[in-house]
Amino acid sequence: MANLKERIDAVRKEFDEAARRAADAKSLEELRTAYLGRKRGHVTLLFEDLKSVPAEEKREAGRLVNELKQSVTVRLDAIEGQLSSVPPAVSAAGTDLTLPGRKRYVGRPHPLTLFEEEIERIFLGMGFSIEEGPEIETDYYNFEALNFPPHHPARDKWDTLFIKGDLLLRTHTSPVQVRVMERSKPPIRIICPGRVFRRETPDPTHLPMFMQVEGLVIDEGVTFAHLKGTLEYFLRALFGEKIKVRFRPSFFPFTEPSAEVDIECLVCSGKDPACRVCGGTGWKEILGSGMVDPQVLKNVNIDPEKYSGWAFGLGIDRTAMFAYGIPEMRYFYENDLRFLRQFGTK
Amino acid sequence: MKISLDWIREYVAVDLSPQELVDRLTMIGLVPETVEDKGGDLILDLETYANRPDTLGHLGVAREIGAMLARPLLERDWPVAELGEATADIADVQITAEALCPRYCGLVVRGVKVGPSPDWLVRRLEAMGLRPVNNVVDVSNYVLFATGQPIHTFDFGRIGGGRIVVRKAKRGETLVDLDGRTLELAPDMLVIADESRPVALAGVIGGQASGITASTRDVFIESANFDPVGIRKTAKTLGLQTDAAYRFERGADIGFAPKAAVMAASLLTAMGGQASRGLIDRFPKPPKPRTVRLRLRRIAELLGVAVPEDFVVEVLGRLGFRLEASHHGAWRVEVPAFRVDISREADLIEEVARFYGYDRIPSVVTPVDSFAPAANRKLDRLARIRGTLLGQGLDEVINWSFADPEREAAAANGKTPVDIQNPISTRASVLRTTLLTGLLENAAWNLNRGLDGLHVFETGNVFHWIEDGKHCEDLHLGLLSTGLLPAAGLGTAAAETDFSVIKGAVEAVLEALRYDPAGFEPRDHPSFEPGRALAVLYKGQEIGTLGQLRRDFAAVASVDRAVYAAEIDLAALFEKTPRPFQYAPVPKLPGVVRDLSFLVDTSHAYGEVAQALGRLNQPLLEGFELVDRFTGKSVPEGRVSLTVRLRFRHPQRTLVAEEVDRVVQEVVGQLRSALDIQLREGSIDSRA
Repeated sequence: MANLKERIDAVRKEFDEAARRAADAKSLEELRTAYLGRKRGHVTLLFEDLKSVPAEEKREAGRLVNELKQSVTVRLDAIEGQLSSVPPAVSAAGTDLTLPGRKRYVGRPHPLTLFEEEIERIFLGMGFSIEEGPEIETDYYNFEALNFPPHHPARDKWDTLFIKGDLLLRTHTSPVQVRVMERSKPPIRIICPGRVFRRETPDPTHLPMFMQVEGLVIDEGVTFAHLKGTLEYFLRALFGEKIKVRFRPSFFPFTEPSAEVDIECLVCSGKDPACRVCGGTGWKEILGSGMVDPQVLKNVNIDPEKYSGWAFGLGIDRTAMFAYGIPEMRYFYENDLRFLRQFGTK
Repeated sequence: MKISLDWIREYVAVDLSPQELVDRLTMIGLVPETVEDKGGDLILDLETYANRPDTLGHLGVAREIGAMLARPLLERDWPVAELGEATADIADVQITAEALCPRYCGLVVRGVKVGPSPDWLVRRLEAMGLRPVNNVVDVSNYVLFATGQPIHTFDFGRIGGGRIVVRKAKRGETLVDLDGRTLELAPDMLVIADESRPVALAGVIGGQASGITASTRDVFIESANFDPVGIRKTAKTLGLQTDAAYRFERGADIGFAPKAAVMAASLLTAMGGQASRGLIDRFPKPPKPRTVRLRLRRIAELLGVAVPEDFVVEVLGRLGFRLEASHHGAWRVEVPAFRVDISREADLIEEVARFYGYDRIPSVVTPVDSFAPAANRKLDRLARIRGTLLGQGLDEVINWSFADPEREAAAANGKTPVDIQNPISTRASVLRTTLLTGLLENAAWNLNRGLDGLHVFETGNVFHWIEDGKHCEDLHLGLLSTGLLPAAGLGTAAAETDFSVIKGAVEAVLEALRYDPAGFEPRDHPSFEPGRALAVLYKGQEIGTLGQLRRDFAAVASVDRAVYAAEIDLAALFEKTPRPFQYAPVPKLPGVVRDLSFLVDTSHAYGEVAQALGRLNQPLLEGFELVDRFTGKSVPEGRVSLTVRLRFRHPQRTLVAEEVDRVVQEVVGQLRSALDIQLREGSIDSRA
């Protein structure tokens, strides 16, 4: 009996060690045969040995051998369970885990859409709403309501594509501002993105169609300081916290005072006198803005003594060109997928 | 406007370094676009604005610099050597169109020796990039660039009768201008005429016949003021751009006309001649000086900063405004005639702001407390459409709104394109009536550059004329797929696209917006191959078309592959109400599935099978989908094998096999009578 007990312990010890090494289905199966095999399994053989154990000890010895068989079985099953829950890595060509994954092609938004959404997100966060309007406009909404007298040379800067009668292709999205002011009462806080059209001879930075976003705030007590603060916040959100911003006087018929807004040149930081982007000035003109002209407010029956407001306009294409270092505006409209697909990520 | 620093210094003392000068001019809104050192003189090309004709001469720019540096403008005398003869005795000026010519000054300089200009004058003109002509012409250019006031010099000997008549042109009159062009004059154009014929196009260009030549002895100097709109119309109609017209159409200083005449006379008499005594000055209705009320409080209200009162007085004074305190914190401000841009309080506040410095105004983010952005249903839907289509593997494109009328005609959609009056080119002379032409261009561009497939979409407006001169501008969605579809990875071969890619994309969009169920009905469309197009319907209204584009339409864009495309009228779709969203509880009880395989005649489209199944009134039948379709050896000629998966469920209890079998038999019976289907062997597969 003492002898059998020692042999049981020895088999258990050997099994434990062998079980630790069993790493795949094949070695597991070998282990099962070696210990539980019907003829020559180590545990099976112990049952044979029981026959030679004296009768008064048989009961105890049988219990021990059965216990061993039970624990071996449980352990083998456990290992099998583990192995089957982690199947061997298999892909198209076997077990090479370095092969590329399988993925479905997901389309990419147009870079101008992406950039427009980026701008919209910033303004939506400041409580602005998005408004739209027609692309074929009338002279009144595109010019007259915005304080461009007929035959004024100021119209030259907004060179126009005419349709028929007083219909034209809008040269900016300002008509949307006029339409919103006509139909709603202050407070107003909107941005107006969209296509605009000008009779421009195409060159790297001018095309007869481009995307613009304009913005308008009208309320009591709105000042030039709000214009500055909000546009600085916007430009920092778009170009980074550290970007330098400069406001300088300018002229637009629909704002008074008017301001052109420059940001520091990201290309040369003002260090390259021959810089293609800033011409060595270190500043890049990025948007036009100003306090809404009192005549524009009067035209839409808003009392300029009670309300004031500010507006801005920015070319999405040119801003995106500047942000991404794209030299030609026309790339946006060639729709070459090798160009477009570069922009879907952030 | 080019300015010479040397010349500016005749009017104001400037001791800034070139860089400082550039920076400070920029910050008052006179941006030097180029800076050039020319023989020790600094030449700045300033960006000027359409409302500031006063900055189109050195005097005006110097006035701005004076205000910027708080320095006075330097005065200069213009002595004239005079004859005993009075101007009025030798010349006569008559204005018959006062509205177009509110002021006309002139005098005669006799005994002029036409010849080269002195060096100082040549240097000034060369700084402006002008080529000196002769001393008389050079003097008039000098006065223009010095003061912004255009003047004109006539050979007085060629002014018939010594009479100057400022009048509208007569029908049929012509004028040969200084550059030798024959101008056809219209009756709304203002001319300077002598007793019989036009001698100049007023404010725009002089006539050749009355121009200064080497033999000119006596010169008539004209310094006038013309109506800006009249000048602009005339110059635009005749396509003439001159330095004089550029200034008059923006508005010249009506008060300065006599001074400019005297200045020119002074310069000419310094070179030899003698001027007639006294100036003719026809100024029938001198306008009252403009006055504007300015409130100190309002400056703070508009700018967000309290500008000191003495600063306001100082700056406006240096700019030529006369301030008269009306009561505490308010002024009556008299606007000088040269500031045609100033008529309201806001205009004056801008002047204060410019010189106070935009950089000294604080930055305050507009408070957001009372605001929540208004919902924009249309934009939300568009964003959802984009997201869905990107997920379908389509790339977004943005095409021109312009189109080539010939290519547009190839779409043959029967819409009349909106044409542009003054297009950039004939190939972009109409507005697109469809998104398909642009998408085809994209296919051509990319396929020609070696890409093997193109699967794209665009959202944008299309336009066309409807009756009685009214136009439509509608938001459309266009989709196009041609060539190979992108492979998903190893072991998945790239497949040629087909009809189902576009149909699936359209279905996905409509489902994403709950515009479902949508109908698809075979219907021919002129842009698509006959028999290869479906009308897309929602609630019975046609909202678009999808299918295979007509080969000859694709060929116009040089695309010779099969092209599948769709165009959806989003404007029409968005007017419809989508299926209301309603939550349905997740089923707690298991359902039963039966796959039904049967043969049906190929004359019955799957759509008919689906319709028949949809019409079944079987409460236990929860839904169905097509899981297999084939023809081939085991299927008799003229028939097709379909496998439809039927899903059964009872809301309150677990179904038993027998009742499902009974329903399936009913379904089979109904399909048999409707479509003459024939069950295949082992045709009902239970997959409980």
